[in-house]
Amino acid sequence: MNIPRTGGNNISGVPELPVPVHMDRTWLEQLDNRLSKGGPWGDWKLCQLAVQGEEASLVTSFDELQCLKHLNDLSPLPHQIDTARKVLFGMSGRAILADEVGLGKTIEAGLILKEYMIRGLVSKVLILVPASLVLQWVRELNSKFGIPAVAQKKAYSWHSDVVVASIDTAKRDPHRETLLEQEYDMLIIDEAHKLKNKKTTNYQFIQKLHKKYCLLLTATPVQNNLSELFNLITLLKPGQLGRQGDFAANYVVDKRQAKNSELLKTELAKVMIRNRRGEGPVNFTKRTVRNVSLQLSDEEQALYDGVTSFVKDQYKAAGGNLSSMLSLVTLQREVCSSRDAVFLTLVNLSKKIPDESPLTAKIWELVTAIKAIKANTKAEKTMELIQSMNDKVIVFTEYRATQEYLLQYFQKHGLSCVPYRGGMNRGKKDWMMDLFRGRAQVMIATEAGGEGINLQFCHHMINFDLPWNPMRVEQRIGRVHRLGQQNDVKIYNLSTTGTIEEHILNLLHEKINMFESVIGGLDVILERFEKKESLEKSLYKLFLESESDDEIRNKVSTLGQSLDHIKRQVEVDYVDVEPDPIVRKEEA
Amino acid sequence: MSLTVEQVQQQIMTYLEATECNIIEKSPYHVTVKLSPQADRQLTNRPYYWGFVDRTGVDPETLSFTFVFEPDKYASIDHHSLHSASLANTANAATHPPQQDSILSRYFGFVPPVNRVGPGRIPREDVTYGSSRLQQIWAAARQEGACVYLFEQTSPLQRDTIFSAAYEPWLGVCFKVEMACDVKREELHFLGMSLVSGQIVTHFPDQLAGIELSPRLPENIHVIPASYALPAAAQELETELLTELALRDYSWAEEAKERQVNELAVLDVYYEDLLTEQDEENQMAIREQYEKRRQEMTWQFEPKVNISAITCGLFHLRSTH
Repeated sequence: MNIPRTGGNNISGVPELPVPVHMDRTWLEQLDNRLSKGGPWGDWKLCQLAVQGEEASLVTSFDELQCLKHLNDLSPLPHQIDTARKVLFGMSGRAILADEVGLGKTIEAGLILKEYMIRGLVSKVLILVPASLVLQWVRELNSKFGIPAVAQKKAYSWHSDVVVASIDTAKRDPHRETLLEQEYDMLIIDEAHKLKNKKTTNYQFIQKLHKKYCLLLTATPVQNNLSELFNLITLLKPGQLGRQGDFAANYVVDKRQAKNSELLKTELAKVMIRNRRGEGPVNFTKRTVRNVSLQLSDEEQALYDGVTSFVKDQYKAAGGNLSSMLSLVTLQREVCSSRDAVFLTLVNLSKKIPDESPLTAKIWELVTAIKAIKANTKAEKTMELIQSMNDKVIVFTEYRATQEYLLQYFQKHGLSCVPYRGGMNRGKKDWMMDLFRGRAQVMIATEAGGEGINLQFCHHMINFDLPWNPMRVEQRIGRVHRLGQQNDVKIYNLSTTGTIEEHILNLLHEKINMFESVIGGLDVILERFEKKESLEKSLYKLFLESESDDEIRNKVSTLGQSLDHIKRQVEVDYVDVEPDPIVRKEEA
Repeated sequence: MSLTVEQVQQQIMTYLEATECNIIEKSPYHVTVKLSPQADRQLTNRPYYWGFVDRTGVDPETLSFTFVFEPDKYASIDHHSLHSASLANTANAATHPPQQDSILSRYFGFVPPVNRVGPGRIPREDVTYGSSRLQQIWAAARQEGACVYLFEQTSPLQRDTIFSAAYEPWLGVCFKVEMACDVKREELHFLGMSLVSGQIVTHFPDQLAGIELSPRLPENIHVIPASYALPAAAQELETELLTELALRDYSWAEEAKERQVNELAVLDVYYEDLLTEQDEENQMAIREQYEKRRQEMTWQFEPKVNISAITCGLFHLRSTH
């Protein structure tokens, strides 16, 4: 080579930049190395292509979202894009994403993560979520964002760049040590409200992790206590709300009530974004509710009465001890659903008691009453409803036996239907959902919770019977009434007059208005209510101890009022501390 | 910057041609290609297979792909005219989504979907801006094109003249400048410097435009000896680049510093009380946490400029002097 190894003009002063410069000179070594070896040399076209590739993916602006161009299969909603932009360019990548349920917090987190990855600011990522959501996160990040996330399965998984794991696994040895040694460019925690107590091992573990950017996702940032919010923010930005003592003095009247709420809002808005339903960003379709009252046939009524007196007698005999009564109360509920469900429970009950027990005779009495029933009034009505809507519909029931019965009954009458239940594995669930989307008119489901059952393509639902837990009611509706639903959702509630079902429906519909609107923070309301006793338990007691229908009505009404009171209180608390809805700034 | 469908297509074709892949079929919306060994090694992620080939010396069997640039239009082209009748009906299958729920994906949450199989059982893949295949091809190009050594090709006329043409060696480097704090911006600078005269060109590709470059040494030329050594030339280019960069607006760095100072102040106030903790062990733990949080903030906000090179090389160009 005819290039001198040394020599050349003297270098004049190198200009100083106001910022530290790191100059990577490996290229020079490489070039020198190849010169001395006489190659190998690269292809000119590929060299140009490399430059073109860099040009195409160059981040030309500090504050312009790049990731949208990279996402072909996803069109985020405006509020999600706004949120991403705000976290990236206004909050320096540390934020609490506190949208209400169903507004797509995962999408927002995905957008932010993708943007940082494209910008080359993030490569090592830890995502901690409840165990049941690990696979869902992995699936969404891969399929929607093209982010190669892996689920943590073995110790070596931790070395992948983007790992999704359950927090309970992560905090345990030997994983704990591995994670504490790492430096994470980004830490994402889903269901972060579980980190409200700073004395828990989960909290202390998270506090020890090393992170650059951090996203905490929760639908309920304020639950029972303002200091919980303080703890959450301390994980993200210690001191944002001042010292612990200052915070208490400046913002807290009693543990639930905030003072200086304007100031608190301003401070919170620096670290938290909360989009709410109905506040513009997303328009959900309407819900219409129709309660269908039915009159039990004489035989069914006889069974209902038989079961009711049987259950009450047992309760009295047990001296008002509820814990041993659970299967009996179930019986009382099942009798409103189907005789099949009752029968199954009776059979199980009879197995548990000795043969000579006087109960056996009573149980046989009830079985005889079951035998007398020839038709299921509710099933007939449901059939009629389905035929009249002539559209896809999901039917929810609480009981396996009822589900089996309905499957048979509908099939006999020429309706195509598929089952869906919690015990099915993921593949079968997806298969059932595909069948429902493609071929079947009806899906009969016993489970509404859990991941992955999204039925936006269906807008009719029938509550064949009602859960007594409002959360489960909300979950049911949430399967159908969610982002992507194009039509107004029609909800049919079946209830039989003169039974406890009527009272439950009255409570859920009239008193807490479950069906027509989404209740913000339903879980918080219930948590507060259930300080003493679960709602379901209160209801059981109420029914078992009441002598007359009127008494039940009055007690349910009182219960409804106290729920309603808590609901209002929760709403006030939220308004107190929540940042104002995001005002979109016009960009220059 | 994003790329149009045409640009993506043109870049993919550049790669396939540069790596000498065998184009089986081409329409304005797709290309079906049998990869060359070089491209197969770079794109198919089969290190074990290639290890086997290298050790046993068998003839490698490379994979074929159908890369689709415009899925909508591709679906509408008539495959009957392109393929024998026996293969035609598989075109329909191509529009079906891949079967997602294998036992593996149930366990891992996600496995890359098995490729949709197009005509002739060749896996098809949509390649658009943002697709991982395009990223991979760029990465491969960067690897393969990192260092070049090229000559300007002469016209046929030059070969017949008596006088040998004088060639000047140039050092060309494409720098990537990353200005980073908690946010980031990037610039590319492709500079060139004559190792003879020391002249520096700030848009080197402009100078190369219209010139045919090849690693082949042309006939009847001579290269003028360089008067600059490579390290000195590199220094000159860096100085030139820094001079250019010094003219930039650095308010972004000041703002980042300001953010950092503010955040640190908030942090200091929070820990001030905690650090007066009497219990020694507790205080140690708190101090450690405090230091860690401060480090995280430096990591997050500290402004810096990173400069690296995408490609570099020696370009022997006909001297104009």
